[in-house]
Amino acid sequence: MSAPVASGTVAVTSRQLARRRRRAAFGRSWRRFRGNRAGMVGLVVLTLFLLVALCAPLLASAEGLQVTKATGGVLEPPSSEYWLGTDAYGRSVLTLLIWGARISLFVGLMATLISMLIGTLVGLTSGYFGGWVGAVLFRLTEWFLVIPFLPLAIVLATVLGRSLMNIVIVIGVTSWPGTALLIRSQVLSIKERSYVERSRALGAGHRHLIRRHLLPNVVPIVFANTTLTVAVAILSETTLSFLGLGDPTRVSWGSMLDDAYSVGAITTGSWWYFVPPGVCVVLVVLSFTLVGQALEEVLNPKLRER
Amino acid sequence: MSIVAADPTAAAAEAAQVNRHRRRGFGRYAGFKVLGALGSLMFMLVVNFFLFRVLPGDPARTMGRGRLSTPEQLAEFKKTYGLDEPVLQQFGTYLNNLVHGDLGYSILYHKDVSEVLAERFWPTMLLVGTSTVLAAAIGVWLGIRAGWDRGSPLDRFTTGGSLTLYSMPEWWLGLLLIAAFAVGIGPLPGIFPTGGLHSVDVDPTSLKGVLDTAWHLALPVVTLTLAYLADYALIMRGSLIDELRSDYLTTARAKGLRDVRVRDKHAVPNALLPTTTVVALNFGFVVAGAITIETIFSIPGLGLLTTDALHVPDYWLLQGVFMLSSAAVIAANLAANLLYGWLDPRVRT
Amino acid sequence: MLEVLEGLAGRRRRGRHGGQGTPRGTRVVVALALLAACLSPGLALAPARAADEPVTLTIGVLNDADSLNPFVGIEAMSFEMWQLTYDYLVTYSTKDLSPEPALAQSWDTSDDGLTWTFHMTDKAMWSDGQPLTAEDVAYTYNRVIDGGPEAATWGAYLTQVTKAEATDPTTLVLTLKKPNSSLPLLPIPIVPEHVWKDVAEKDVKTYKNEPTDGQPVVGSGPFRMVEGSAGGSTYVFEANPDYWQGAPHIDRVVFRVYKSEDPMVQALIKGEVDFVDGINALQVKSLQGRDGITAQNGNAPSFDEIAFNTGAIDVDTGDPIGDGNPALKDAAFRHALGYAIDTQQIIDKVYQGAGVPGSVIIPPAFSTWRWEPPADEAYTYDPDKAGQLLDAAGYKMGSDGLRTMPDGSPIGTLRLAARSESPTSLNTMNYFQEWLQDIGIKADVVSMESSKLTNVILDGNYDAFEWGWYVDPDPTTMLDYLTCGQLGSWSDSWYCNDAYDKLYQEQLTEMDKDKRVELVHQMQQMVYEDAPYLVTAYDTIGEAFRSDRFACFAQQPEPGGVWLFQSGAYSYLHVRPAAEAGDCGGAANATQASETSGESSAVSTPVIVGVAVVALAVAGLVALLAARRHRTAADRE
Repeated sequence: MSAPVASGTVAVTSRQLARRRRRAAFGRSWRRFRGNRAGMVGLVVLTLFLLVALCAPLLASAEGLQVTKATGGVLEPPSSEYWLGTDAYGRSVLTLLIWGARISLFVGLMATLISMLIGTLVGLTSGYFGGWVGAVLFRLTEWFLVIPFLPLAIVLATVLGRSLMNIVIVIGVTSWPGTALLIRSQVLSIKERSYVERSRALGAGHRHLIRRHLLPNVVPIVFANTTLTVAVAILSETTLSFLGLGDPTRVSWGSMLDDAYSVGAITTGSWWYFVPPGVCVVLVVLSFTLVGQALEEVLNPKLRER
Repeated sequence: MSIVAADPTAAAAEAAQVNRHRRRGFGRYAGFKVLGALGSLMFMLVVNFFLFRVLPGDPARTMGRGRLSTPEQLAEFKKTYGLDEPVLQQFGTYLNNLVHGDLGYSILYHKDVSEVLAERFWPTMLLVGTSTVLAAAIGVWLGIRAGWDRGSPLDRFTTGGSLTLYSMPEWWLGLLLIAAFAVGIGPLPGIFPTGGLHSVDVDPTSLKGVLDTAWHLALPVVTLTLAYLADYALIMRGSLIDELRSDYLTTARAKGLRDVRVRDKHAVPNALLPTTTVVALNFGFVVAGAITIETIFSIPGLGLLTTDALHVPDYWLLQGVFMLSSAAVIAANLAANLLYGWLDPRVRT
Repeated sequence: MLEVLEGLAGRRRRGRHGGQGTPRGTRVVVALALLAACLSPGLALAPARAADEPVTLTIGVLNDADSLNPFVGIEAMSFEMWQLTYDYLVTYSTKDLSPEPALAQSWDTSDDGLTWTFHMTDKAMWSDGQPLTAEDVAYTYNRVIDGGPEAATWGAYLTQVTKAEATDPTTLVLTLKKPNSSLPLLPIPIVPEHVWKDVAEKDVKTYKNEPTDGQPVVGSGPFRMVEGSAGGSTYVFEANPDYWQGAPHIDRVVFRVYKSEDPMVQALIKGEVDFVDGINALQVKSLQGRDGITAQNGNAPSFDEIAFNTGAIDVDTGDPIGDGNPALKDAAFRHALGYAIDTQQIIDKVYQGAGVPGSVIIPPAFSTWRWEPPADEAYTYDPDKAGQLLDAAGYKMGSDGLRTMPDGSPIGTLRLAARSESPTSLNTMNYFQEWLQDIGIKADVVSMESSKLTNVILDGNYDAFEWGWYVDPDPTTMLDYLTCGQLGSWSDSWYCNDAYDKLYQEQLTEMDKDKRVELVHQMQQMVYEDAPYLVTAYDTIGEAFRSDRFACFAQQPEPGGVWLFQSGAYSYLHVRPAAEAGDCGGAANATQASETSGESSAVSTPVIVGVAVVALAVAGLVALLAARRHRTAADRE
């Protein structure tokens, strides 16, 4: 009679223990992350940009995006009224920049989400199950790696047509193979570990193995990889927009750069139209990369010494 | 970029997959890899065909623009180019032609695809090839220096600099360079040309021609080199740091070997392995060209060809470009794998 | 390759630990730089524009030629190059693009209009020394008349012509089935029979017609192509000193293909090119203030329009297809919308002022054919009037502030399709959406690729879209696009009006010019009132050139037209170096030299910088090798 009680108590404490351990691990990681100066700088910059993107409606009226409602002159240099000057249609560049942050970040994050989902799924499946499914998935991954990214993205963008969601899909669909390979290699090495083998020998099912042993070990890497993928996705959005494949009805940093370039930023000398969006892209991409690298160091013990 | 950078892990993944007890000879390993590459190539050939058939637009109508073509003329156009046949039959023709080394006929330029590809091949090789070599050489050098003296000013400068360059859209960087060095800002004279591959009058094979081409390519090559640099520098730095932590190096130093000799005799050669793979892989991507850089510097390469062909769409030309570039990547991949297998017996499956 | 690389990487040497490598490396670089500095003046001292150096007009363009074979190519660049290479029987005037003598000095037609006789010059020669005769012309035309690939581009100009015949070396006779009112306009390049007789019809498609082994393409025009290839980036033409209409005043024309506008404009400013074509209005504006450069927005023979789905049908069965809004099938509804468009605002805001507000489908360039709407019929921006017209037609305002169909059902939302590759298209539709809203009609702007739009139009699944047409100097083709016969083919508004078609057929064969003009006017008026198209703007093409180097470009049409890429090679024949600007002669509107600036040192820069670049590369290599040697020394110690 005392046995069930005892086991019950043990169960509760073990769950609490696990939670406590997890919290402690998180605290440790956070402390380590805080110690990484570059990572912290990246985090602060990112937070600022995210705030700007979220508060865009408070910072600048959405009417400022409409060509038909433009109030300024053509390509006016910065003034007290238009801090960053105006574009070719008389819109305030600052307004465009603030609202552009939304689209650029949205595309970056959504594309990464898709890329992560596909990448994790493919990587996990091909690494864990092996066999012909694994082989086929591995070939598929390889094929996507073999096709040069930009031409493939351009073809896909042309097929799908230009809209915000399509850009997200194009970037997501073309950027997953890296993640898939990374995860596959992790899964392969974890699978060989003795405790996993022991667990399997004890009759653990696929579900249990994947949920209890593989995922917990893979997730941190996926997480670190995510931030790096966002950086690439934002760069890709910029480049696709520059090539005229972005959503023409929305303003992103990429489309601003494209507009600035096609109205002749160099010839007209309108640096205020051409430089700020580029600087924003660099800042955000750099921040994501710094945070990603810091996370990698924190979460991946092998890299911690770097 | 990230795609490429991730690939050494692929090799590592395969390494992990290996049953370490059974190590096969290099010959068998190589045979396996070659077969795999052939498989990828076959797969590519099939996908290549169907990928472009789903493109929107109708080449017959695009090419008919500007003429008052009647429906009969449209039909005749389609017949001339085999566009009226069922897709499967077109696929058969495509495969049959491929076997005979015929890449088809470009309806955009009214020439054989192979001829168009040949014309566009060298500008791309010159631009992207040179940049890849330069970026690899400079990147590896910076990576070694930075990794060896971790935390030194040089390391910080290198890491910070390459990360910033990595975060820049390369065409934006290119345009800034055009503004600064081709147009000239303030005291900077615009000493470089704004675009093109060479001047009109110069025979490209003469000394003056070579100098002229170098003058034209300086800015685009610098742009691409800066853009590619980060990958190599960071990978090299990382693997050198990894290497420095291994036991044998500590031993070597304990034996009293001079630091520099330790670095060059032991650490660097081992740490070069992943970088070498990345360099080899990137060589495959040279053929794909650099679409944005070719655009802003008006260099008639393969990258531009892709975008031009898409507007029609010129199926045959697109197939040709994609086939060429994916074949190059597959070959480079194979080379990287073989090299890796040769240098590091552990990965042989 | 890889091993070499790896070796290089492994050899990279002089570090803080290594020591003395650095000074030596630096020394080598300095030495090489000095060497380069000594060398470059020597190389650069090549005479910078000697008196006998050929005068080259370098033209920066944004597209390449798709084929130099006149029976195959379709791009504007290709047409321009044929104009330089070949002669034409009849050409266009610069003033209003009416027919003007070229190879044919005069022509006459029989009273029934079924026989045309052209009297040609006997002075024209092919560049290989053979005389150009009526035989060549007949040969070229017959290839077109016989159908096949040759007819694709040129067949339309020889409609109804059954036979072209050279009765003697300077007389060409065309025989027709039915009169063809667009004659004598025959902008077909005449090719040499002695070259083309070896090109069988089945080989036309693959015949490149490009210079081979330095041998120019055989032509008779003012210039001959000596270098260039379809899809290439440079095309070089040399003047034909024996041209029968007089040699050009410049020695060479070079086309350089740029793939982006802004660097091309910079190339003009720096003097790398002398002429740029296809730049935007803001670039024109900023160039206009520069010394030594003249820039303009030249009127293009084209118009941009908002087109409506006036009722798509299956061409075979006549049944309605697609999902076009029923309101737009009513001409009265479309007509009312004409008063809701502020074309001046569109020009000011969307076209940056570079354009002319639109009205009818024949642009102002073709003054002969254009019908000018009288003041009481012309659309003005007048939302109240638009509202009254809609009320009168039964489209009453509903309680929700939106107009309804005459039967009281809601109109729904109009879909305004913009072409996604064109900001102009998108912004025009954005304005249109707002103006529609003002008169109680709801609309959404959607954007799509033009290739997709083409399919959507053919399926009838649209309400309205923004696009444009280039208009031929003869109005027939433009008028044809709106006939019932073009439904399911080139018609994009599904407009079909029997009265219009009847007029179209009449004007096709009307040999009396004045009567034909009257017919063409009536047709324009009909389209204007029925409004399958609401013409928004007549666009312009931005051009600029170095007026400190060249002068005497003539506009076509005159005034306000473009300087190059005209119909005919007039400008190329008349352009002169700036120093001879006083001799422009007959061309009344020709551009004069603005001012002369100092000699440019364009010749030496490439050499100096090229030497520096190569020197740097060599220096790097040498530094590497030096470092390598140093390492070997270090190893030995």
